[in-house]
Amino acid sequence: MRKMWAFAVFLFLYLPLLVVVVYSFNDSRLNAEWVGFTLGWYRVLMGDDEMLKAAGNSLLVAFLSSLISTLLGTMAGIAIQRYRMRFLNFLVMAPVAMPEVLVGVSLLLFYIQFIGMRLGILSVVLAHVAFSVGFAAVVVRVSLAALDYHLFEAARDLGASPFRVFWHVTFPLILPGVVAGFLMAFTLSIDDFVITFFTAGVGFQTLPLRIYSMIKIAVTPEVNAVSTLLMLLTLSLMLLAMRLAPEALKGRA
Amino acid sequence: MNDSRVEKWLLAGPPMLFMLALFAVPGAIMLVASFRYPGEFGGLAPLNGLAQGFTLETYRFFFSDFIYTEVFIKSVAMATLTTLFCLLLAYPLALVIARSPKRDALVLLVILPFASNFLIRVYAWMILLGPQSALSEMCNAVLRWFGAHPVELLFSPFAVLVAMVYAHLPFMVLPLYANLIRHDRLLLDAAQDLGASAWQRFWRVTFPLSLPGVYSGSALVFIPALGMFVIPEILGGTKDMLIGNLIKEQFLVTRDWPFGATLAIMLTLAVMLIAWLAGKAGGRHA
Amino acid sequence: MKYLLLLLLSFSAHAEEVLYLYNWNNYISDRTIERFERQCACRVEQDYYSDNEEMLARLAAGAAGYDLIVPTGNAVESLIRQHALRPLDKSKLPNLRNIAPSFMNTWFDPGNVYSVPYAYTITLIGYNSEKIRELNLPVDSWAVIFDPRYLAKIKGRVTVLDSQRELIAAALKYLGYSANDTDEKHWDLARDVILKAKPYWAAFNASSYIRALATGDIWLVHGYSNDIFQADQDAKAAGRKFRILASLPKEGAVLALDSMVLHRSGKHPRLALSFINFMLEGENSAELTNLIGSGNPNMAAMKYILSEIADNPAVFPKDMKNLEMLRDLDYRQRRIMSRIWTEIKLR
Repeated sequence: MRKMWAFAVFLFLYLPLLVVVVYSFNDSRLNAEWVGFTLGWYRVLMGDDEMLKAAGNSLLVAFLSSLISTLLGTMAGIAIQRYRMRFLNFLVMAPVAMPEVLVGVSLLLFYIQFIGMRLGILSVVLAHVAFSVGFAAVVVRVSLAALDYHLFEAARDLGASPFRVFWHVTFPLILPGVVAGFLMAFTLSIDDFVITFFTAGVGFQTLPLRIYSMIKIAVTPEVNAVSTLLMLLTLSLMLLAMRLAPEALKGRA
Repeated sequence: MNDSRVEKWLLAGPPMLFMLALFAVPGAIMLVASFRYPGEFGGLAPLNGLAQGFTLETYRFFFSDFIYTEVFIKSVAMATLTTLFCLLLAYPLALVIARSPKRDALVLLVILPFASNFLIRVYAWMILLGPQSALSEMCNAVLRWFGAHPVELLFSPFAVLVAMVYAHLPFMVLPLYANLIRHDRLLLDAAQDLGASAWQRFWRVTFPLSLPGVYSGSALVFIPALGMFVIPEILGGTKDMLIGNLIKEQFLVTRDWPFGATLAIMLTLAVMLIAWLAGKAGGRHA
Repeated sequence: MKYLLLLLLSFSAHAEEVLYLYNWNNYISDRTIERFERQCACRVEQDYYSDNEEMLARLAAGAAGYDLIVPTGNAVESLIRQHALRPLDKSKLPNLRNIAPSFMNTWFDPGNVYSVPYAYTITLIGYNSEKIRELNLPVDSWAVIFDPRYLAKIKGRVTVLDSQRELIAAALKYLGYSANDTDEKHWDLARDVILKAKPYWAAFNASSYIRALATGDIWLVHGYSNDIFQADQDAKAAGRKFRILASLPKEGAVLALDSMVLHRSGKHPRLALSFINFMLEGENSAELTNLIGSGNPNMAAMKYILSEIADNPAVFPKDMKNLEMLRDLDYRQRRIMSRIWTEIKLR
């Protein structure tokens, strides 16, 4: 029963995706009915340097920002859970609660009028970190909440240094949470339009910026093609990570 | 004792400093902006001395008219529905994943669709729900069977809800998974030995233990869902305006930053109020 | 690989000058850009916006570095009054004489001190030729969009623009007022007209109506002339039996004239001027019209424009006197209109 349900949910998740992938091979600009098989949109994409560059930028920003926010989020999550730091909790959660437009505009004002920063990849990465730290912190907290606190005390009683306790006890236990946090931060970043729109400077484009500016003139299946490729690339990167660090994703203690 | 103070600030310091710089300062700018007059061309009016540049005008405007509160109520209702459906879809899935030997692969499968582009997924829903789609025709064939009027799926609150649930699902699945995976199987085995049925084991053991996951997942879905504006814009019909649309409009159409900031601050307050109420209701779990 | 190559290139090619163009998406042909790059031995980098307000908001928050922007009239006016633009050195623009006099010396920039006309679009009625004939609806008036008598026949197959200014302007025109009428009582009347018609509309739509028209999901729209041209091209390419046609309502409509302006924050004004002069050449200007079906203020371009576009009265209307350009509103008016819009969207 439960497995059937899970299967149905996966169907729900993959149905739109199927449309995306199938239409990337459709020989029609229109994204309406099936006309015929073509690799034409991939050829168009391979000749579209701007789109490829935007996709590359998106991946780069997503990796950098999710790495940093996972690191900061893990630290914050542990600190909040262990020392009951309400203020820190408020600080990391508030950007989650703020509407994106407001985060975007206020960061832009801050960058330009307060610290005179040049807009570009750095400003975008920092902005993405700011709104995804909260997500990472929450999952880390959740995995800590499910743990038996006596475990840490036992380890300490046995004379382990705080660092050793963290590295050998806490970290392996919360690892699934950390990985989940990373994945959430990654998807948030790679999909973000509004905040990037405000914080990217002249000449720096990410894929969502590129695609959103295309909706004015109808999105062509070239976008389906780039989405398909991006998914494949993400999949292979993640599989590679699983290969390189099998323990990391297993969540075993 | 001192050691643990050092440890505490080593852990909390970097994220705190980062968030102070990148959230607290910009947040404060917006708070101040909400008490200002809009600039003639957008942005904020120039400040001539501290005394003149500030006003409660936008707050008065907000409260003078019930229509804005109505938008809030509608958005809260939509976000609540989204959260409930996400929970309904995500919980069994997270449970299956957490107990599966192939859990790492399954987690990747959950997240993978979200590595494509958000907009292109919303467009895919547009195709799936369009009047000439198989889904629409199936749905209407069933309705005709019962003698009911055919319906339009696209450009409706239904379409908005489907896409909202779709877009936020991983943010429910992942916290639940992160919690469920840490549950001690021994507890369930013990319950079984004591003669508890599968249903009892779930309600008495698994579910109470997973409450932190439920709460965080709900927060991570509810809060962003409350500010969403792209989905109602693309899939919504003629009545589907949410608070996110209204706020975006103040910055990107009306060029009325102070009122936009006011709306956003009201939204943040509403979220905090709801979180506080949920905390009260949830008692010790929150 | 391409991406890596590009990265390498951008490191090695630092010496060459770059023109930063902040433009509407798909508002210039790639071929035109390539030709200009060859001619000036420079590179053109484009950023895109899909809405004037979006561009203004970004500039208002301090975004900088754009040499050239292509805003619509009211946005040009706003930028001029913010002192955000550089005056043009006309001696560098010999091709300016190609622009038709009726598009020069507009209210938003008398004497064209700051702006040079680029292209224009008209907000009008687009429709599915087959369906409208079957249903026998009159598309020569805004009534078809606003009058429930006609709408009843086509319920759920109509979209209108998701733009408060455009939709209220159309309703004002339908009521016989100016699109720039700022009398709040007239705005309220426009709101009532819209609220009565709204139950028959499928959606407020910003862009996907192009696709919906071409697939046959939507039969009647309030939309931009170039979008309707695009939908027709798409329908033709997909081998549809129907055409997507445009009709200019007799009550008049909104004309949006986009102009090239130099932003003060740009670092390459000389290059930007040579770009403007390049775009004023008939052939280059015509390339845009042939690509997207926009109206063209350039007299020298007419002979290069495909006849099906040049002869289309919805793209090049015979009579311009019923067309109005939208003027900027002050912030109080903007706030009131936004309040009316919220009511329209919520009820």
